[in-house]
Amino acid sequence: MGAALTRYRVIAWIVGVVLILLVVVGMPLKYGFDNPVVVETIGPAHGFLYMIYLVAAFDLSRRADWPLKRMLLVMLAGTMPFVSFYAERRVSSWLAAPRAERTPEPVAN
Amino acid sequence: MPTPGDAKPFRPRGTYDTVSESGVVPGTLDTMRWLWTPAWIARHVAMVVLVVGFLGLGWWQISRATAGNSLSWGYAVEWPVFAGFVVYVWWREVKLARRRAQGDAVADSAEVPAVEPAPADAAGSRPAVRRPVRVARVPAAAAGAEDADLAAYNRYLSWLNANPGARPGDYPG
Repeated sequence: MGAALTRYRVIAWIVGVVLILLVVVGMPLKYGFDNPVVVETIGPAHGFLYMIYLVAAFDLSRRADWPLKRMLLVMLAGTMPFVSFYAERRVSSWLAAPRAERTPEPVAN
Repeated sequence: MPTPGDAKPFRPRGTYDTVSESGVVPGTLDTMRWLWTPAWIARHVAMVVLVVGFLGLGWWQISRATAGNSLSWGYAVEWPVFAGFVVYVWWREVKLARRRAQGDAVADSAEVPAVEPAPADAAGSRPAVRRPVRVARVPAAAAGAEDADLAAYNRYLSWLNANPGARPGDYPG
């Protein structure tokens, strides 16, 4: 679980940063200044990285036994600039909280 | 001499697990009826709509790719993969729901005290074969690093025991 969470967090951070670059830098350059070079280079890269994000999110949801709705919400959160960082923090807090509470039971009295 | 294979069809109804199988005729689709509730029909329809839509988008990307947009070859591969993922998630939900229903049935029968299964024993001449009792417990982690490793391994073993048929890759730990 820990490794899957780390994988998810790394790719979520990368996808979030690239998405913000695309929206904050690439879009104004393309539509405001008629210079599509940033969108043309970062755009496909973001698409490919988002696929990795989907795989990591699915892997994590399978291991954490999430309901389908939560998995789809986490996947969709990766498509929204800035929201992806919030989603990453929420996911980390979900998975970090119950770990500490879990106390093992003695096997033989 | 009866073999296990031909003993099954001759078993009269009522001697085996009457709680969960009453009203179900073997060999028909009665056992699948829970997949035909409004919520499940909505899921089946959503699955079919998404798959058809995704395959259509893939076809559209193929037409774009043959028209000269080389990036569309990538999308033409991606959409069928999405369609396959939808089918996989749908199949997984069905499987999980079935397993959950079976798990509830097992939990229900486990809560009943051991006196209860006696009527089934008395009704048929077949001796009742009971499965071993499954104990959901986490082994105690003693002090020390190697004991923590041992406890983790024991936890893995108990998970394997609690999930027969599961592959090691499914282990959530």
